[in-house]
Amino acid sequence: MLTKRLHRLQGFLLLVSRRASNVAKQQYDVIVVGGGHAGTEAAAAAARVGAETLLVTQKIHTIGALSCNPSLGGVGKGQLVKELDALDGLCGRAGDWAGIHFSILNRRKGPAVWGPRAQLDRQRYREFIQSELLGTHRLTVLEGSVEELLVTEPNPEKPGCHRVTGIRLGGSRSISASSVVLTTGTFLSGSLFVGQTTSPGGRIGDAPSSAGLSHTLREALGLRTGRLRTGTPPRIVKDSVDFSQAELHPPDERPSPFSFLNTHTRCKPEEQLPCHLTLTTPGVERVVRESLHLNCHIQQDTKGPRYCPSIESRVLRFPGRKHQVWLEPEGVTSDLLYPQGLSMTMPPDAQLRLIREIPALHRAEIHTPGYGVQYDFVCPTQLDPSLQVKNTQGLFLAGQINGTTGYEEAAAQGLWAGVSAARSALAMPPVTLSRTESYIGVLIDDLISRGVTEPYRMFTSRAEFRTALRPDNADLRLTLKGFEELGCVSSQRYYETVRVRDSLRDALEALQSIVLSAANWRKKMPDILMSENKFTSLSGQDVLQYNTVSFEMLASAFPDTLSPYMEFSQRLKIEAVYRPHCDLQRKEIERIQKEENMALPQDIDYFSLPVSLSQEVREILDRVRPSTLGAATRLQGITPAAIVHLLNYVRHTGQKETRTHSKYDKNREELHTENASLVKL
Amino acid sequence: MLLSVRVGMLRGAVHKLRTRLLSTKGGVTDGLADAETIFALSSGHGRCGVAVVRVSGPASAAALRGMAGITRGLPPPRTALLHSIRDPQSKEVLDRGLVLWFPAPNSFTGEDSVEFHIHGGPAVITSVLQALGSVPGMRPAEAGEFTRRAFQAGKLGLTEVEGLGDLIHAETEAQRRQALRQMSGELGRLYQDWSHRLKRCLAHVEAFIDFSEDELIEDGVLNQVDRSVCDLQAEIKRHLMDERRGERLRSGVQVVIAGATNAGKSSLLNTLCQRPAAIVSPIAGTTRDVVETALDIGGFPVLLSDTAGVRDSTDLVEREGVRRARERMQQADLTLVVVDCAQLPCDAQRAADFLQEHLRSVLATEEQPDTVFSADKCLLVLNKTDLLPEDGRLTLERELRRVPGLPPICLVSCHTSEGLQGFLTELHGRVKTLCGNPLTGDPTLTQARHRAHLQQCTAALAQYHRYRDGDLALAAEGLRLALTSLGRITGRVGAEEILDIIFKDFCIGK
Repeated sequence: MLTKRLHRLQGFLLLVSRRASNVAKQQYDVIVVGGGHAGTEAAAAAARVGAETLLVTQKIHTIGALSCNPSLGGVGKGQLVKELDALDGLCGRAGDWAGIHFSILNRRKGPAVWGPRAQLDRQRYREFIQSELLGTHRLTVLEGSVEELLVTEPNPEKPGCHRVTGIRLGGSRSISASSVVLTTGTFLSGSLFVGQTTSPGGRIGDAPSSAGLSHTLREALGLRTGRLRTGTPPRIVKDSVDFSQAELHPPDERPSPFSFLNTHTRCKPEEQLPCHLTLTTPGVERVVRESLHLNCHIQQDTKGPRYCPSIESRVLRFPGRKHQVWLEPEGVTSDLLYPQGLSMTMPPDAQLRLIREIPALHRAEIHTPGYGVQYDFVCPTQLDPSLQVKNTQGLFLAGQINGTTGYEEAAAQGLWAGVSAARSALAMPPVTLSRTESYIGVLIDDLISRGVTEPYRMFTSRAEFRTALRPDNADLRLTLKGFEELGCVSSQRYYETVRVRDSLRDALEALQSIVLSAANWRKKMPDILMSENKFTSLSGQDVLQYNTVSFEMLASAFPDTLSPYMEFSQRLKIEAVYRPHCDLQRKEIERIQKEENMALPQDIDYFSLPVSLSQEVREILDRVRPSTLGAATRLQGITPAAIVHLLNYVRHTGQKETRTHSKYDKNREELHTENASLVKL
Repeated sequence: MLLSVRVGMLRGAVHKLRTRLLSTKGGVTDGLADAETIFALSSGHGRCGVAVVRVSGPASAAALRGMAGITRGLPPPRTALLHSIRDPQSKEVLDRGLVLWFPAPNSFTGEDSVEFHIHGGPAVITSVLQALGSVPGMRPAEAGEFTRRAFQAGKLGLTEVEGLGDLIHAETEAQRRQALRQMSGELGRLYQDWSHRLKRCLAHVEAFIDFSEDELIEDGVLNQVDRSVCDLQAEIKRHLMDERRGERLRSGVQVVIAGATNAGKSSLLNTLCQRPAAIVSPIAGTTRDVVETALDIGGFPVLLSDTAGVRDSTDLVEREGVRRARERMQQADLTLVVVDCAQLPCDAQRAADFLQEHLRSVLATEEQPDTVFSADKCLLVLNKTDLLPEDGRLTLERELRRVPGLPPICLVSCHTSEGLQGFLTELHGRVKTLCGNPLTGDPTLTQARHRAHLQQCTAALAQYHRYRDGDLALAAEGLRLALTSLGRITGRVGAEEILDIIFKDFCIGK
């Protein structure tokens, strides 16, 4: 897999120029605006589903750029990367290609919360994403600036007040499409802040996006927007850092790839680069306070993230403490370091004074100063579960425009918006992704039903079914569905996952077939330290739950039965421990899934609905327009009585299921039959 | 906060409803839906000859066999049979009564159902409910759950369905009031405190999981959580044991006699229960602890408590008595404030002012010194009318009744029994209103439910310890489950609330 990639990358520059000039068509199924993490995943996913797709971006060479930290994954975010990979997304494989320091965070805290993470080489990451996009069938990339969204009357058979028909580029050129995905990141009315200077833009070095787009969203479509802020730290010249004053943090000895398709990463274990940890001092706090009057960004009361705050807000909120600063490599050949935790917006001379108060940075030089960004986001409660704007048919939003922060969060929405946009354009039935089956589902449900008040970041604690939504089983949860229902997964990946699923099932059956009395277990495997007070019979699966037992130990005790499954030893151990807990949760999961299958029509007139609902409840329902009964129950102020009435209404109008039977379901049934015969083989 | 507590409770109730409705959509109950079997006292509480206990759900047949001691087969459907009712574990005979078997789908709820028609005494009812609770797979029903199951099984017509929304509204409103009643007392403070501490524990574990790799969150955080969880476990266990002894929620209308020392409170108690239940003496401060008596007033169960006279005292024992008296008043459905009418000023207006002031000082609590007494929660009893001249008594009564803002007034003499009949009529009326209020929940069931949730809570806390060192995700899951169980009593806790604590307590800045 990885060697093939190298060959492809060699012809890469050639491809860029060819693709970019090759735009002749006037019509696409899907147009994606923006080439960041959301846009690239959206475009690739739409093309995989089968849509003729156009990706429009200001500069082709910044496609796949890591604008902020040079890393991918982490706790909660790593789960998203695994899920994206399970749905054949790009970022997992790109991480394996570009990673230069791999580690599993939370290694000692349980497999459900392991956080696969990698430091990335910026250059390699961009190369991979660009090469992947340019090699994607049905996908065209175009350099240009989008001036306006083209909007017209809605299709009367579907809910909504408007319908998107395409985009207008600079130079008055128009391209039409059935679906448009906007992934404009921080560029929507973005302004940059350093010290007391403010300039329009979404990222240093890039032109600001057109005011026309903001205008269409706010004025023509009447979307509610809010304003958020974020920031990035100064980049430090590597040679000027005194590493003797910092703590060395080596990577994992054996890098674990993000992708289920990869058995190893491009970077060899011994080639990995370390990170370093250093701490702030009281001097840092002093510089922050001294320069406060020169710091526009921090004085504004726009909402910033609580969990990715600038160094200014960290020392102001928690004074008198030491704060961690991670010094992260920017790439194999890069001369720069990224100081994680030092995002700042004070004037550049103050930035230099500040970093020099930190022991390891006492003589450090700044390559590029840090800066802040303030930008508009569209309140995501105006979106439906496919990330389509409720009042505008065919318009999808993904990424920071929806009020999230982070590459992985953006990529997750991008993939989902791409799949939905393509299915909508191709008139395929809509699909759903539940919060009970994925972190992506949690992310989307949180956004559309609760909205955001600060930049939204994924945490494992947001997923109520965390024990079932593990990084290790993302393929079983999503790849099968991704192929059979969503249409965004290749058959190669699908058949590999089917093999894995069947092997795991056989292995668990084999484990259950081994049943011994406690006494015999003690005799056969004295190492497992089974209590002398135990007298019952135990299966291999029961015993595998013991802390002291590994699958390897069992396999050497029962080689005939278990040795065929050695490649899955870690997954089997995790399955054995978690399965009982997941079984307990299944009932709750099924309840939520059923609620989510009860659709509430989007064009329902809550004020004239002939059921007894209070005016207050009608107003809430009208404002939020929940798409399912499940979403309605999670709204503040909705009474159980109202739910009963709604249920009754939905039942009697026959609008029960989101999905309707169609030829796609038939295809799916055929696949299942195929799948079944595969299992027999 | 109040609102979110309510919404949390409502959600719990409604979730069940929806699960069932959806699962029976096609007319087939899928096995994974609500497999729980529920039971409840279906006849009202208060004095009754026969009480009906209803059971519904898949374990109904097992409950019937166990309780009626049937070893083979089942009785013919819908036929009343006389049986001994036994505790399925101890085989002890609890009562002799009728049992009826309603196999699905021909029952009120559409599920397998059983009815036990037993004798109406509280002891019998409690023992039967307890015995049912010990059958595996059984739990006390939530308010209105039988009706809901009937709805889900399509047993109710369209008009009845329309009415159900209102019913659920009334029920959840009742649950809320009931919860508030319990929550405002000491028990409520206790549960809230546990819930708060548990929330903190969970937030700290979650912070450790989500942030410790990048942030300065020391391992000490977890040690603190370990200690807190141990403390909580011990406290909840102790509480569960205590509850059996006497701290339980009392059945019946709670009437408390309160007032200043030597107003004749104990005499009133003795008069009402027609026996010297409490020691009566002319010495102020004779009653120092709460004296309780169960009474039957016009057929309604009443728990009457005599309390220590409210006054400032240096005596430690007496001060504790006063504290208990105040606590009891807070939990009371009805407070009888007894006043020695010889202490009243002669002028009616000044007497009224005196009474207002007196009520305030007796009913005030430390937390709410300016408490406004609600007229429907208390009754003024002016005692020792034998010490007043006849015409003075009549004038006083007439004048005071005209004063707005005072609770209803009864003039009695415990010594001569004068005015006692009028007082009893008034008391009977009040108790009847309280009992007849459909929103007054059944305390036995509430208590059983609390116990069940608290037991689940301690079991889940044990899971925390079991996985603490091996798998923090599963340990946190234990805390989550514990909080959910406790949340069934105090209100639900959402992920956002946990995140709020995390960001308040830790500097997170990846």
